[in-house]
Amino acid sequence: MLAFSLNERAVELEVDPETPLLWVLRDHLSLLGTRFGCGMGLCGACTVHLDGAAIRSCSTPVSLVAGRSVTTIEGLGGNHPVQRAWVEHNVPQCGYCQSGQIMSAAALLASNPQPDEDSIRQAMSGNLCRCGTYHKVQRAILSVAAVAHWEPVAEDVS
Amino acid sequence: MTLTRRQFIRNVSVAGGALTLGFQLTGCSAKPLQLGNATDFQPDAFLRIEPDGQVILQIPKAEMGQGVVTGMVTLVAEELEVHPSKVGYEMAPVHSAFTDPEMRLQITGGSASIRVYHEILRQVGASARETLIAAAMQQTGLSRDVLEARDGQVCSVDGSVNLPYAELVPAALNLPVVTDVALKTADQWQWIGRYEQRVDAAVKTDGSARFGMDAAPEGVLTAVLLRCPWFDGTVESFDAEEALQTPGVQAVFATEYGVAVVAEGYWPARQAAGKVKVSFTPPGGGLRDSTAINDALLAALDGDDFASVRDDPAVADAEQGTLVSGRYSVPFLAHAAMEPLNATCRLTADGCEIWVGSQAPDVAQDVASRVLGVPRDAVVIHNQFLGGGFGRRAAADNVAEVVAIARQLKRPVKLVWSREDDMRHDWYRPAMAGHIEARVHADGTVSHWQHRIAGPSINQQVLPVLMGAMFPQWVPGGARQLVGDFVGKKDFASVEGSKELPYAFDGVSVSCHNVPVPIPLGYWRSVGHSHNAFVVESFVDELAHAAGIDPVEFRRKHLPADSRERRVMDAAAEAANWGHAAAGRFQGIAVHDSFHSCVAQVVELSLVDGKPKLEHVYCAVDCGQVINPDIVKDQMIGGIVFALSAALHGEITLKDGAVVQSNYHDYPLLRQTDTPPMTVVLLESTAPPTGVGEPGTPPAPPALANALFAATGERQRRLPLRLG
Ligand code: FES
Ligand code: FES
Repeated sequence: MLAFSLNERAVELEVDPETPLLWVLRDHLSLLGTRFGCGMGLCGACTVHLDGAAIRSCSTPVSLVAGRSVTTIEGLGGNHPVQRAWVEHNVPQCGYCQSGQIMSAAALLASNPQPDEDSIRQAMSGNLCRCGTYHKVQRAILSVAAVAHWEPVAEDVS
Repeated sequence: MTLTRRQFIRNVSVAGGALTLGFQLTGCSAKPLQLGNATDFQPDAFLRIEPDGQVILQIPKAEMGQGVVTGMVTLVAEELEVHPSKVGYEMAPVHSAFTDPEMRLQITGGSASIRVYHEILRQVGASARETLIAAAMQQTGLSRDVLEARDGQVCSVDGSVNLPYAELVPAALNLPVVTDVALKTADQWQWIGRYEQRVDAAVKTDGSARFGMDAAPEGVLTAVLLRCPWFDGTVESFDAEEALQTPGVQAVFATEYGVAVVAEGYWPARQAAGKVKVSFTPPGGGLRDSTAINDALLAALDGDDFASVRDDPAVADAEQGTLVSGRYSVPFLAHAAMEPLNATCRLTADGCEIWVGSQAPDVAQDVASRVLGVPRDAVVIHNQFLGGGFGRRAAADNVAEVVAIARQLKRPVKLVWSREDDMRHDWYRPAMAGHIEARVHADGTVSHWQHRIAGPSINQQVLPVLMGAMFPQWVPGGARQLVGDFVGKKDFASVEGSKELPYAFDGVSVSCHNVPVPIPLGYWRSVGHSHNAFVVESFVDELAHAAGIDPVEFRRKHLPADSRERRVMDAAAEAANWGHAAAGRFQGIAVHDSFHSCVAQVVELSLVDGKPKLEHVYCAVDCGQVINPDIVKDQMIGGIVFALSAALHGEITLKDGAVVQSNYHDYPLLRQTDTPPMTVVLLESTAPPTGVGEPGTPPAPPALANALFAATGERQRRLPLRLG
């Protein structure tokens, strides 16, 4: 039996410990917001937080998260400052990469609330977007960084 | 046009008390359309208004990121006088009401959605509005001229009456639909050209958007398929003994498309698939290696077997001027949309249901019905959001596969392609080669422009598939293939963007030669324009340099003074401050018409340690009336990122008939760190709207190649470009 915290709720399940977290989320727990893009850690579509840090769930065996805390796009709640900025800036096109982009952005801002353009580009370079929304991603992150009163929520602090 | 009372009651009864405004806008449909019912149809209908006033629009096109939902909602909302964010939407089922009147298919392509539907949808909104106003007239006894629709209500001008649409639905049910309506004029628009939100942004931000990949009918299992690496092989034999030991595996069996491995979830299926030993029938003949294909294309260019698509006689003397020539080539390309292909199938009593993100749900329906051996009407397609399309999702090979699997499995099943499957079993943008020559005269004029194009015809392969859905199913496949073969001789997809030169050159001839390959081909964002713009606009640059004239000046000389191309090019040049680039910056320009729009781009780069670095892309577009300025800009930028990925990295190679590349490490895309800043200028226009999904793509590669030439003096005629 494998136990971990998922979006602040305790989860216990029987699963092959080698199974990547991505497929546990999608196939076992029906949390469909985390996306499968490449399965090799190359695209970032599957990004979630593990104890607040952005990780690629496609390349993380679920055994690795035992006893730890996982947050998915669903766990951000929809009203997270990053998500609000995403809607305001109309970042998504097809939308498929965006859960991953948002999770990477949220982790970046939690560790560095005022990133400059260059650190944004670096931090977000693991997230591919075939639709080419990179500028919007950058602008949305900058807009969150510009809001001085935003305090990262506790979960996001690694 | 007014619906008869009988038709109208039938609409109402199937829509559960909702007011359904149905129109026979696009030809006849024998079958009633039944929204919400999986097995029946209902008469044509784009819009319904529910008793609580909720407006729901059927979206006849695929939403793959291009913003078609927002565009269509905005057009209806404008006339219906409802805020666009309050209009609900559904992906339309397959029905003749949703057949594109130009393409005769329910297909999303050719950047045509808003161009074709902008007026239809405004009429849909206006008819609903006027019928609701008629209901208010009946209810209040007031006349039309003292009533107006505003913010989801019908109001009297003196303010005494304010009737929300919800209150008018019961009365509107019994009225004939008003179809003789006047559309609002541009000065009355609130949203068209001004609304800058995306109505699907929220669901694509909180994780709740549902793609094909997320379909989960009750009891669904996951399948992966082991396909033959080359494209003409089938399963000869397989050994699944070890695979079947994998926990969670349910079944392993052969289908006509490969060996299916079915399990409870993707991971066990993929693990087990790795343990199946399959042998496939050996590859057949034909061109099977990239080098052999390239040689064949070049050999074809040297031959004389060309089909002419344009042949204007030249006035100038054929011996005058300087002869300039260039030979260009481009590779096969994959679509590499972020969502790997997938499809989900559940068998029903008489057919099946399919969940898929499709650019052509009617083609998917036709393909599924053939595999299952049932009439088309017995196949229900639930179209989903597409995690990128770019042309790939107009094909339905994933649907054929999942139906073949479900047919044997007899349980609901989702077929999931890996990224490797997606890369190695695409319908590729074909490799193409072009030879182009022209004479430049002392005064800078150009004559004897001859462009020969050699490459595989996309439509020879794809049209027979699409026609399967266009024609009655008794039309034999052989007949469809004959049409494909005929079209393939002069495929419009091979020559588009080369045949319609905007320049006033003396004596233009364009011809093509089809080189068939045993590799699946398909439409790739901007199709023929994706390679022809590179060849033509690079070569125009060569001519400018041969004439010793600045590339913008040279183009200006050959573009008619009042032409759209010239205005667009000037706008891009002005935005880029052409001719006055900062020290160490080099610029290249390209202008190209595609999908009824015109786009010009300037790529600016610098040399860092002798290596080119992208600094900025300036883009100007004339796409007629803009519906949503923010989305148009995003489409231009997205089209440029897509094109630059291809120009810098994109290359699919073949070895022994199989694709070599497999994932994003060997088929790289531009990343956040590689994408330069961009500026997009939208030209004001009151002309009807034209394409935006694709036109941003064609000019970027030649603009980049021209900038490279400006920086290095080296002319690169082959894609992908080499950067130092
Ligand atoms: S799916 Fe995990 S990085 Fe691509
Ligand atoms: S929005 Fe489509 S892949 Fe990023």
